Parts: sequence; C-alpha cells; structure tokens
Amino acid sequence: MAIFPNLTTAVPLLLLFIFSLLTPHASTLSDDSIVSELSALQSQSSTGVIHLNDPLLRRILSLPTPRPFDFLIFFDAQQLHSKAELSLPTLKSEFSLVSSSFYTNHPDEKSLLFFFDIEFQESQSSFALFAVNSLPHIRLIPPSAIDLKKDSIQMDASDFSRLAESMAEFIESRTKLSVGPVHRPPIVSKKQIAFIAVAILIWTPFFLKKLIAGNTFLHDKNIWMAGAIFVYFFSVSGAMFNIIRKMPMFLADRNDPSKLVFFYQGSGMQLGAEGFAVGFLYTIVGLLLAFVTHLLIRVKNRTAQRVTMIIVLFVSFWAVKKVVFLDNWKTGYGIHAYWPSSWQ
Amino acid sequence: MAALETPQSSTLRQAFGNVLSVFILLLIGILAFSIRLFSVIKYESVIHEFDPYFNYRVTQFLTKNGIYDFWNWFDDRTWYPLGRVIGGTVYPGLTLTAGTLWRILNSLNIPLSVETVCVFTAPIFSAFASWAAYLLTKEVKGVGAGLTAAALLAMVPSYISRSVAGSYDNEAVAIFALIFTFYLYIKALNTGSLFYATLNAISYFYMVCSWGGYTFIINLIPMHVLLCIVTGRYSSRLYIAYAPLVVLGTLLASLVPVVGFNAVMTSEHFASFLVFIIIHVVALVYYIKGILSPQMFKVAVTLVVSIGLIVCGAVLAVLIAMVASSPTKGWSGRSLSLLDPTYASKYIPIIASVSEHQPPTWPSYFMDINVLAFLVPAGIIACFLPLSDASSFAVLYIVTSVYFSGVMVRLMLVLAPAACIMSGIALSEAFGVFTRSIKFQLPGVTQNSPVNAGDTGNVMQNDVVKTEKSEDSLKERPSRKNKKKEKDNVERASVVPKTEKRLSVLPLEASVIAIFLLVLLGAFYVVHCVWAAAEAYSAPSIVLTSRSHDGLHVFDDFREAYGWLRHNTEVDDKVASWWDYGYQTTAMANRTVIVDNNTWNNTHIATVGTAMSSPEKAAWEIFNSLDVKYVLVVFGGLVGYPSDDINKFLWMVRIGGGVFPHIKEPDYLRDGQYRIDSQATPTMLNSLMYKLSYYRFVETDGKGFDRVRNTEIGKKYFKLTHFEEVFTTHHWMVRIYKLKPPKNRIRGKTKKAKSKASSKRSGTLKNNPWH
Repeated sequence: MAIFPNLTTAVPLLLLFIFSLLTPHASTLSDDSIVSELSALQSQSSTGVIHLNDPLLRRILSLPTPRPFDFLIFFDAQQLHSKAELSLPTLKSEFSLVSSSFYTNHPDEKSLLFFFDIEFQESQSSFALFAVNSLPHIRLIPPSAIDLKKDSIQMDASDFSRLAESMAEFIESRTKLSVGPVHRPPIVSKKQIAFIAVAILIWTPFFLKKLIAGNTFLHDKNIWMAGAIFVYFFSVSGAMFNIIRKMPMFLADRNDPSKLVFFYQGSGMQLGAEGFAVGFLYTIVGLLLAFVTHLLIRVKNRTAQRVTMIIVLFVSFWAVKKVVFLDNWKTGYGIHAYWPSSWQ
Repeated sequence: MAALETPQSSTLRQAFGNVLSVFILLLIGILAFSIRLFSVIKYESVIHEFDPYFNYRVTQFLTKNGIYDFWNWFDDRTWYPLGRVIGGTVYPGLTLTAGTLWRILNSLNIPLSVETVCVFTAPIFSAFASWAAYLLTKEVKGVGAGLTAAALLAMVPSYISRSVAGSYDNEAVAIFALIFTFYLYIKALNTGSLFYATLNAISYFYMVCSWGGYTFIINLIPMHVLLCIVTGRYSSRLYIAYAPLVVLGTLLASLVPVVGFNAVMTSEHFASFLVFIIIHVVALVYYIKGILSPQMFKVAVTLVVSIGLIVCGAVLAVLIAMVASSPTKGWSGRSLSLLDPTYASKYIPIIASVSEHQPPTWPSYFMDINVLAFLVPAGIIACFLPLSDASSFAVLYIVTSVYFSGVMVRLMLVLAPAACIMSGIALSEAFGVFTRSIKFQLPGVTQNSPVNAGDTGNVMQNDVVKTEKSEDSLKERPSRKNKKKEKDNVERASVVPKTEKRLSVLPLEASVIAIFLLVLLGAFYVVHCVWAAAEAYSAPSIVLTSRSHDGLHVFDDFREAYGWLRHNTEVDDKVASWWDYGYQTTAMANRTVIVDNNTWNNTHIATVGTAMSSPEKAAWEIFNSLDVKYVLVVFGGLVGYPSDDINKFLWMVRIGGGVFPHIKEPDYLRDGQYRIDSQATPTMLNSLMYKLSYYRFVETDGKGFDRVRNTEIGKKYFKLTHFEEVFTTHHWMVRIYKLKPPKNRIRGKTKKAKSKASSKRSGTLKNNPWH
C-alpha cells in the first residue's frame, strides 16, 4: 500500500526536480505555476495528501509571502510506525481522511489548503527547518509565515486527540476555511452490506423454521447462562471504564521502570489487569456457591464432597478477604461497625 | 415425627409461617426507614443537595396553589429571560406523591410542614420498595428468597445513597415504582390475569410520572417478551401480560406532559411497538397451529412466515425511515451513550461533565452493592435451574442493568434491586441446602434410624413441598381458568428435580462452616451498609462538617449566602452563578437565576460559561446584557472544599467553547495541565472566575495558599474594575459580587444618569442597613 503512492508521486517529483534544475531561477516562477503543480500532485494522490520532500518544500517557501494558500504538514517517520503509543499510522490515516473530506466538501477551494506528509528518512533538513524533534507533529503554515519556527502553528495533542474531527476543528479555528463533515469510509463497504443483507434474508426463513421447531442454540440455556455470567463479569470488572478511558492493562513503575504496576491506588481510576482480576474474584465466589448448592450436592461420594467443599469454602473466603483488603487499600475507607460504647 | 403431621397441623404451620413473614416484612420496612435517618440525626431535618431543592420548591407551589396551577405553572424566576414551563417539563410523580401525603396528613389533623413531608418521603418509599422486592422475588423463587431479597434491598448502599431522609428526588419513589411494575408484570405473566396486567399498566404510568428511567421498563419488558418468543416460551399468559401494557401504558404515558407524544415518536419506545407486532404474528401462528393438522400446519407456516416477514419488513422500513430522519436517530443523548458508551465523552460535554455519568471502577461496585457482587452469579445460575418465565425475566433484568451500570455509575441504582433479588435467591438456596444438610444429619436423627435417615428426611421434605405446592396452586386456580398445558408441564418439571435433590445432602461439618461463613458475609454486609449510610451518604452537602483534632467544624456557608441574598437584594434581582447552584438559589434565596440544574438549554449555559471564562470587561458586558445584578461563586480554597467553581472551571470553558469558539480550552492550560499558580496562563489569570474566586484572598494568610489545589495562587494583588464584592461568607465558601453600574461617557447626560444611580443606591441602602 505504502509503496504505490510513493511511486506515483515519485515520477512527477523527478520531473519537477529536473525541471527546476533546467530553470536556475526557480524563485522567479510565478505563484500560479507552483499552485498548479501542487494541484496536479494533489489530484494524483488518492486522498489529496502530497508527499513532501526538501526541494519541493524549498520551492514552496520561495514564494513571496502572502502565499495564496495555507498548508498543513504531517511529519512522519516510518521507523516509528511500530511504536504503538505514538499511533502514527492512525494519525496519518486520520490526517488523510481530513484531507479527502476537505476536497470532497469544497471542490472549488482545492488550491486554498494543501495537505502534505513528509518522511524523516528522506527529508531530514526540512525537519530541522521546523525544529521538529518529537512525533507526532502536525503543523499549519499560514500564508504569511516567514520564519517557519515562529510563524507556523503546531497542532496540540488535544487537537488530534479526537482524531479527524478535532483536526478539522483545529483547521477551522486557525484558518478561514471550514473542513465540513468528515467522511469516514464505512466499516463495511456497500458490497459487503448488500451481501450480508442478502445472506440474512436467505437465512431468516430457515432460522424461523428451526425456531418454530424449537432447536437452535437459542434454546440451549447453558449458552444463555454463560452469556449472562460473562456480561456480569465484564461489567463488574469495570471493563467499560477501561474502554472509555482507554486504560492500559498495567503501568511501569515510576521509581523503578523495570517493575510493573498492576494495581493503582485511588478509587477514581483503575488499570485493565486490576479490573479483570477483581472481576474474576467477584464472579468466582458466586460460581463456587452455585457449584456447591446445585452440582456438588448430587455427588454420592461423601469424601469427595467433603474435600471439595473445604476447598471451595477456603477459596471463597480468600477471595472475599482479598477484595475487602484491596478495596480498603484502594479507597482508603475505614469501614467500621458501631458497637455500643460500653463494649470498648 | 414430621411424617405423622396431620393436615391440620400443617395448615397451622402455614398460618404461623405467614404471620411470621408479615412480621419480618414489617421489621424490614422499619429497618429500611430507620437506616435512612442518619442524615437527620447527624445533621438536621433539611433538604439535600441540588435537585431536591427544586422538587421541594415545586411541592410548595403545589400545596399552596393546587394542582391546576401547578400543571400550568410558567416559572419566570429561572432561565432568565427565557423562563421555564415547569408543569410541562417536570416529572410530576414525586411532587404529586408528597403533595398528596401532605394533604392526607393535614386532613388527619397532623400538621406537618411541607418540608418535613418532603424530607421523609424517600425513607417511606424505600420501605415500600423493599416490600415490592419481596413480592417480585416471591413470584420468581418463593417466599424465602423474597424475604432475603427484601432484607438486602432495605439496606443496599446504592439505594441508600439516593433515598436518605432529605434526599427528595425522583429516584426515591421511582425505584419503588420500577420494582412494583416488574412485580405486576411477572404476576400477570405467572397468572395470566388481565387484572394484574391492567394494574401493571397503571403502575407503569406512575413510573412514567416519576422518572425518565421509565424507558428502561419499556425496553426491558419487550426484550423479555422477545426472549420468551425466541426461546419457544410463548403462551397466552405472555400475551395477556404484554399487550395491555403496551396499549394502556402508552396511552397513559402520553398523558404526562413531559413525555407527551414522545411516547410514540422517539426511538426509545419503538422496541415495544415492534415486539407488539411480533407477538401478534406469533399469536396468530400458535392459533393456526392449534386449529390445523400438523400436515396443514407445515403448509401454513410457509405462508404465515412469508406474510409476517413482509409486514415486519414494511414496519421496520417505516421505523428506520422515521429514525433516520432525526439527527440523533431519535435517541436522547443519555440513552445513546448507553448504547455507544464513548458517545457522550465525544460529543456532549454537558452530559460527560456530570460526575454521575462517568463509568464506574470496580471499587464502586464494592461500595454500592458490597458483598452482593459475590452472590449475584450464584443467583443467576439458580435462576437457570430450572428456568421459568419469571426467572428468565430476573436474569434479563440483572444482565441489562449490570451492563448499564458499567457505562454510567448513576445507573448503579437500577442495578441494586436486581442484585438484591439475585443475591436473595442465591442466599436462600444456599441456606436451604446447608440447613437441610444439617437437619437430617444431626446426631440425634441418625441414631434413631441410621439407615433410613436420608429417606425419612426425604419423605418429610416431600410433604412440605407438596403442601407448599398445593397451596400455591390453590391460590392460582381461580385465575387459571383457561388451563394451560405448558404451564403444568413447567411446574411438573420444576417439582421433579426438587424431589431428586431432597435425597442428596452435603457433609454436616462442612455445611456448618459454610453457614457460619455465609452469616459472616451477611454480617459484613450489614456493617458496611450501616457505615455507608452513616458516613458516606448522609451528608446533605448544603451543610458541611469536618472533623479535626480540635473537634467538629460545621460549614453552613451556603445557607448563609442564600439568606444574605434573600434579605439584602431586591426581589426581582437576577443572580448569575454556574448552573449547579441555580436550584438552590431559586428555592432558598428566592431570586431569579440565569441557568439552573435543569440543563435544557445548552446555549444559555454556554453563555454563562463564556462569561466566567472571559476577562472582566467582556464578562460584565455579557452579564449586563442578561440583566444580571449579582454574581455568585463558590470558592473552597480557604477551607479545602474540593467541589468548588475553580475545579469546575474547565467544564465552563469546555461548554462555553462548544458554542462560542473564541473560548479555547488550551488557552487555560499550561502544557495541558490545569493550574492556578504562577505558571498559569494569562488567560486563566485574567478570567472572571479566577478573579472573583481569589479577590482579596491574599489578605487571609498573606501568601494566598489555596488548600484545594495545594499551591500558592499565581496572581495575588489585583483590583476589580467592573465588579464589587458585596458579601463573602464566614469561611469564604460563597462570594457574592455586584456588577458595577456602567460608567457615564456622555457629558450631557451625566446628571440624569447620576440621579438614577443615586436613587438606586438609596434603594439598596434602605434594604440593607449594613451596606
């Protein structure tokens, strides 16, 4: 995937480069020619994001200052794509999403705002020009910018925290252009939707027939039981909190990075592993109790019953004690009874 | 000896059991009522928090002016200058309940004040709720489970948190209505009686009157009906239980002004209509199945299925078209954030800003339902062994509510009754098994007949089971005129495994230990609940206390401030504050406010948020354009009260910025951090909120050390140009500022303006001799 846009953009870039060599005074070129070149490059890219390199940037910057367009640069580095916490690939695709949405929403304003991406490996001097030394980094260069470090505007982390939508808001707040609604590609394509719809339509009568006959997986109560227990486990473990807040499973200890922290002190927050551990403890006691009252009671062997019950009781007692201990540790509440004062 | 029991003695036992149950229920009611009185004992008989003050004010209006004026009440003292149609935008259930209660008491010559009635409404209704839980659980799993569930519900902390004395809010009566509606549904389902079905619709109407959470009922019951149909449990009882609820319930619901046509227009209710259609199709199928031979039926099935599919498809298409035509797909923001939990945090800051809309972490469960969290899985499994219509409903209830509570901590309240029912079932089953094991293996019994010990026990138990059963069927017979074969099958199925189980017991000593541990668990629950009721959930938040080494401190600043406003300002003056304090200001100070806790108009709230985030001059202009005379801020920096306006300030910025884009959150943050010390951004230090909170603060300790943020403030010495301080409470928790009159610019009009200003000032002088 990544090679294709590079190849398709590389050929015209090469041409451009030769062209610029042939004309020694590139700076004398009129605005129009650069804009039209950029438009051409833009139309070649499927999302409208132009791949930037040092010479092209230099040529853009050589334009006289109020330039006829704003432009945004996404600073990219292939070598960092593997680092999950930077989430560069996501941001890059979101960036191109903003770009394509902008061009579809405003086909007549195509030459007022350009989207670029630039690769660290091939254009290190441009990175130096903007003094970019950490990623992710997205920068807006307004038409009047002369000093790139000072006059251009860096997109804050909060501006791409909500991905394409907040990027669009950033653009709207800093330029006079509005991006409009972001057109996300649907998760399933139209063909897939049609296929699924047809499949469901064909499958429904068969299913209904089975349903009336009364033998589907829906009639197996064990599946329902397992599902109910799972939903319970999922909810009491606070998994929804982890999803909404995007909590990691564990953290590295601040004082000693080689150690991992699985339990976070303070009731307002929890870590993923912590939630699942306690959710498991919550669930296991009830399951064991049900096991004893409904299953173990049918066992004929007295000794087996006795041994199992002792184990079950021990595990349950331990689980409850552990949760009580963890809760007191985490919240810092001192739960106490109110005995008559004469007892103390 | 039990085997020799005569029928007479067994009826005596039954009667004794019933009397005992009634007595236990009475005690449970007293327990539920009295555990909620900590707030009155520790503080005083006072209305709590924010929303209850509004409800109290509405109730006062109702008792004073009667129901018709209440119904048509347009309140011009809030949301100035828009006003609010109270009669049409409030859930009237709670108000009408308390108003009726007050009227009855007065007609009995018990002269209680409206406030007293309001304070004790919630504890009374929690007693009702625990009785309703008994009824519901009894329908699901019998009397023992019912009593246990009622006892658990009487003191479940999650429910206590919303229903302590003084917490006069919708949830207090709504939880009772919720459980009672479910009970009537199950009762109608079990008996197939149209009487209970009608009662169910009326109870649903009461729920609709009381709380927006009624949508939970109108989605859960259709879900259960659908589940029953899908798993092949359709019966005419199901139809009788469901169809009247939809028809009558929807008609009644649309009588409530705040719901009105929403009852048929919004997507939250569509599930019930869809299921209504489906159940008719299914009923038709079953009818045809009954009158046709199996051969003919197969032919007919194809026909009916295809026609049914077409009808369903058409209706579905209409529904989808209707849903798609509205921007939020016809769902309110709160409901949407239940389906897509990340929705609110992305799009609706005003919902995301409320702390009770946050997802809970695992300690919240331990705090709010405590050891019930351990018992619920056992209850779920017990409900599947054997599965009946009623127990499948209980399972569905716990599963949906536990999921919802995972999304929003506020919905823990809906989970609590379900958790109590499940735990009641689990505990009662466990106690049943363990006590049985002990009873039939006691040394005395085994010595008498070592071989037949199990068998005699078996015989006796069967006897008891039979009498129980016969009594049950006696009760149900009149309503079950149209004999249902399936139901008998179900009952027989449930009796058979029971008789098998009676044979088997667990080892004696292990059972003793298990009972001991279960009792220990229960004791821990009681200790926790009493502690939670006494320490965690009883604070009225209008009066604060703190305990330090030199004794108890009471902070009564809020009432001090509202009292000041009431006595020192003109009746028609407008007071601006963040929306949290709107209800209290109107109820206690009787002054007009700009925004209040009924957050119906986001733009208006954003305007106030913008004013608070703007520099002084811009803020003055905004406030002046709204006719605001006084601005009230809550400041906790001196005493360390954490939920003050500075801590809420980022939400003001966010909500303000959502409507007025020139307010930008990053301008108030230094490197993404919210701070008020010397590192704070200039925008932050110049914002009105900062200035009003910290004006003259440095005079208190000479350093300006904020005890909530634990830093010295950034800008210590400054003067106010457009506002003047008029009142600051004892602990500086509430500070009230007055907008300075506009400066005169035009020479020619100086005299006029001056005379006006002076006359105004003299007016206030008359009212306020100290000022």
